Amino acid sequence: MATRLVMCPHCGNTISIEEKPVDKIYLICPKCGKKGVVRFKHKETKDSIILVRGLTKYYNNHRAVSDVSFSVKRGEIFGFLGPNGAGKTTTIKALLGLIHINEGEIEINGFNIRRKEKEAKRYVGYLPERVAFYGNLTALQNLYFYADMRGSNREECKALLEEFGLGEHANKKVSGFSKGMLQRLGMARAILGNPSVLILDEPTGGLDPRGVVLIRNKIKELNKKGATLFVSSHVLSEVQAICDRVGIINRGVLVAEDSVSKLSNRLNLKPKMVVDLDKSSDTIVDAVRMVEGVDKVHVYGRRIEVICDAPSKVKVVLAVVNAGGNILNITTEEPSLEEVFIRYTGG
Amino acid sequence: MIHVVYTVAKKEIMDNIRNKWIVLISILFASLTLLVSYAGSFFSSGWQDLEFTIGAMIFLVQILISIIGLILGYGAVVVEVDQGSMNYLLSLPTTRRDVLLGKFLGLSLVLSIPVAIGFGVAGVIIGANVSNVNYEEYLIFIGASLLTGLVFLSLGMFMSCLFKKRSTAMGGTIFTWFFFSIIWRFIIRWLFNLTVGSPENLISEGVPNWWYALRLFSPLDTYSTFVSLNVDAVNWNQSDMSVLFYPSFYTSELMIAILVMWIVLSLIAALWLFKRKDL
Repeated sequence: MATRLVMCPHCGNTISIEEKPVDKIYLICPKCGKKGVVRFKHKETKDSIILVRGLTKYYNNHRAVSDVSFSVKRGEIFGFLGPNGAGKTTTIKALLGLIHINEGEIEINGFNIRRKEKEAKRYVGYLPERVAFYGNLTALQNLYFYADMRGSNREECKALLEEFGLGEHANKKVSGFSKGMLQRLGMARAILGNPSVLILDEPTGGLDPRGVVLIRNKIKELNKKGATLFVSSHVLSEVQAICDRVGIINRGVLVAEDSVSKLSNRLNLKPKMVVDLDKSSDTIVDAVRMVEGVDKVHVYGRRIEVICDAPSKVKVVLAVVNAGGNILNITTEEPSLEEVFIRYTGG
Repeated sequence: MIHVVYTVAKKEIMDNIRNKWIVLISILFASLTLLVSYAGSFFSSGWQDLEFTIGAMIFLVQILISIIGLILGYGAVVVEVDQGSMNYLLSLPTTRRDVLLGKFLGLSLVLSIPVAIGFGVAGVIIGANVSNVNYEEYLIFIGASLLTGLVFLSLGMFMSCLFKKRSTAMGGTIFTWFFFSIIWRFIIRWLFNLTVGSPENLISEGVPNWWYALRLFSPLDTYSTFVSLNVDAVNWNQSDMSVLFYPSFYTSELMIAILVMWIVLSLIAALWLFKRKDL
């Protein structure tokens, strides 16, 4: 984790602090004992399409999100993660102006969501966690209504239904749709009018494996076409597969914001090397354990799993060979988002 | 803004065409008017003229138009919030004001068109069967009924924005109806008895002006007062003795202003609440 040196204004003592993706860190000087606050300026770039600064929201006396700041760059896929009740949906609702925030500023494409609500939302497509439609209308009538609301062309509605495998259900009432069909229809509705920012809350929830693949491919395709995606999901493997960067929120506080590999590095999470042998022995395992940079060694029959840093990989291979091992296969697994998530959320 | 208001209004109208509300209200008002005109008199049989019909209908309209207005209005916001569709609707490039205005406009037409058709068809049938036809008074009656309907529609929308749950909004709506049609009348009657006291006082001092003013707090009484100020026959059908001796400030203009004020204030309050609602 990156460190920063700050000077105590009272006694001049230099204090080393860890740089976290939060706006302020409360400190007590170890020398004079005085309390103080260090404020970090959030890194904002010109190409940020979503900008959140100091977002705070209370529900009665409960603080749902606290001082959350992050930015999403134009054209990236940003994963937004957190345990249940961490503040993900509250943040998403704040992005869309659906709730009134107590503190902070939110900008979408340069437009403040509170002061320029219509302009900000013009760029946004949204897939809510709880997808709801007008049950008395058909799928096509629903899309027509939303196209009219957006002021976009009705002609793309039929094509979108076809694209999401709902062509033959276009004239059926939505009240008879399954959860998966509603989710696909919700995705079609979200991309109606070609918005440049897509906010997707649990986009694959309730979908069968085919539906998951369809939505995942669609997300990638939209991103290739230049759309920015903000994806909140519980399926961490999926987020890791598609997202450029992630933000992790826990108990209303954003605890991490970066690419998965950088977050792993910050946590000193090491890759896992899997070595398949024709025959394992205590000598080989002991030789591997002795290698510098090796943290853990697990033995599963003829397979040895070694947690080590990248420079030690070659040394591990040499140690196995020198101890008389015959290597059949070697693979390396990078630290998973799951590990990063668990470490950051204290799970 | 205009296209959003238009789209939301159109959807409300289409929904109510699909669920047969519009047809139902039209048939209800036409058949009740015809029934009251044909079979509503104790003293003579057959078709009665429009003045008599208005006089006999006014109580029924007070009940029906307020209930229909409240039912249409109470679901406007809270039902969509409950179902989850409001979240998406407000994520679109629009504002809560535009959505609320669109809903009010659409539901106003859902209420007004069938009531106007129902009364209109009945009026034409009655007119064809009686010799004494005063369409002007009948049109005033229809207009006043519609205006009162809009008052209760906007009150229903206020309830819809006030409550978080559909069930509590329904409860609030039922209370509103009871309040204006029963409770308020009891309150002012109680105040009247408390202050005026004996019948001797009533004879010597008359009905105080404050009582007349308080009476107009109920849009239903404002409506009946407006109709009785404009339709002669209604005066003699009202059971409330006070209508025979209206004070000088009881004018048609005041009644219209009060009804319009109810609509405007309820809508402003509804919008104020809706804007502050967390979805």
